[in-house]
Amino acid sequence: MADIKIVNLHKEFGAGADKVVALDDVNLELGGHVFVSVVGASGCGKSTLLNILSGIETPTNGQVTITQEGGPARAGYVFQSARLLPWRTVMDNLLFVQEDRSEPTRQRCQRYLDMVQLGDKGKKFPGELSGGMQQRVGIARAFSTEPDVLFMDEPFSHLDAITARSLRAELHHMWQETGKTVVFVTHDVSEAVELSNRILVFAKGGRLAEDIPMDLPFPRESADPDVALAKAEVFRTFERIGALTVR
Amino acid sequence: MLFRALKGPLSGRLTFPLVCLGVWLLTIELVASIWPFAVDVLPTPWQVAGFMWDEITGNTLAPHNVYQTFWISLQRLGAGMLIAMVVGGVVGLAMGLSKSVNAFFNDWVVAILAMPNLAWALFCSLAFGFGDTGPIIAVVLTGVPYVIINVREGVRNAPSDLYDMARAFGVPRERAIRHVLIPSLMPFLFAAGRYAFALGWKGLVVAEVFGGQDGAGWTIKFWYDAHRAYGVIGYALLFVIFALFFEKFLFDKLSRRIFRWRPEASVAEEAFDQPPAVTTEPQRTPQHG
Repeated sequence: MADIKIVNLHKEFGAGADKVVALDDVNLELGGHVFVSVVGASGCGKSTLLNILSGIETPTNGQVTITQEGGPARAGYVFQSARLLPWRTVMDNLLFVQEDRSEPTRQRCQRYLDMVQLGDKGKKFPGELSGGMQQRVGIARAFSTEPDVLFMDEPFSHLDAITARSLRAELHHMWQETGKTVVFVTHDVSEAVELSNRILVFAKGGRLAEDIPMDLPFPRESADPDVALAKAEVFRTFERIGALTVR
Repeated sequence: MLFRALKGPLSGRLTFPLVCLGVWLLTIELVASIWPFAVDVLPTPWQVAGFMWDEITGNTLAPHNVYQTFWISLQRLGAGMLIAMVVGGVVGLAMGLSKSVNAFFNDWVVAILAMPNLAWALFCSLAFGFGDTGPIIAVVLTGVPYVIINVREGVRNAPSDLYDMARAFGVPRERAIRHVLIPSLMPFLFAAGRYAFALGWKGLVVAEVFGGQDGAGWTIKFWYDAHRAYGVIGYALLFVIFALFFEKFLFDKLSRRIFRWRPEASVAEEAFDQPPAVTTEPQRTPQHG
């Protein structure tokens, strides 16, 4: 579990007339065993926030600190596409992001492959697996580093509904079992409501518009009236910030 | 069933040499009917085949037998290709990484690329005289621009999404280079190697004709000087067979081994006869000059 502190975070791309503000003065604190979803329309800065948190991009202004009991925290990342090394086997893909290749590390990787039900696919190349299986490997890779915080950028958006549903259930199970801090970017409000403790709604221009706590008990089913009400609340927020136009 | 077999790629491959043979015999008949004296310089397929058999069995008038000759040429080709791959790899890498280095070398690479093999062969013969150096330098100069261009394009097409992944997981730079950059360059290096081999082989033969004292090119010239057309054609065919053997049994096998992770690598040959398989991943295509 990690503590994330974001102070006056600002990110711009381009310059002059082409300047685009991706994130505008974002202030946020989150940490502990939480599953935080970041939702919003396309181009509102969700993925940029995740890229800055993970160190892929640097902010224009502001500060981000991610700590674990005072020291630096370890992070894992699950991308929109699996981003596996196609020339390495599944097991080697997991080992690529580890600090060492010792036998205990190998066993840990195997344990996480078993968790995503791909324990027998360690010697396969990614090209020999389906899209859903590749994404499972991506999830196993992220968990296998035993990170304090896990960043996930629309990890199920490229998958069919059935595979996505089963992976969501697996992810939720793994999150509960491992007690990680998860920051999950999605454009799917149902997904956010069913998985999260907290939902951050971003508006166009990269502004954090609303921070909605989700205190409903797990597991959450779409048909549950409380879940439907929670989704409606998120959609009302979208309406209020002008991200949703209802005729 | 028979019709399907005749339509298939195998029947096409088997028919091609038979058609060539027919055209060869018809051409001899036609030319001999117009210029009867031309028979002396137009060997029949049987004369050529007999010559090739004699060469293969070691029964030759040339100073070296075919195995010694090809071994000499192969050593020169190997040395030239090694230099071309190293020099081309370093320059291509620098051109791919730096715009100013690219601007500096680009016109030179295009100029070397545009230079005919014959010009390199003549220049190397004049500059280095008889011996190994001229043919080796000719191979380097023929192959190096293809290596440079392929490596440069490989670096430009480097998978940035995989670098971002490595950075997000805090993978050390040295490991990212070893496991991301170098493997992503392999298809480009491999294509460069194949081209350097095919074109370097031709450049080498021309250089040996002018500046060699032995080797495949020199031996072709030996048969030319002896006014034996069947010798020239037969030796050239041995040369083609040797190159095809290398292509089929070295490059193809190596390609299957290195790119075993790529499902289409195992069906590379069939890809010429069948529509390409639909893939979801964007393909990075090596440049073929």
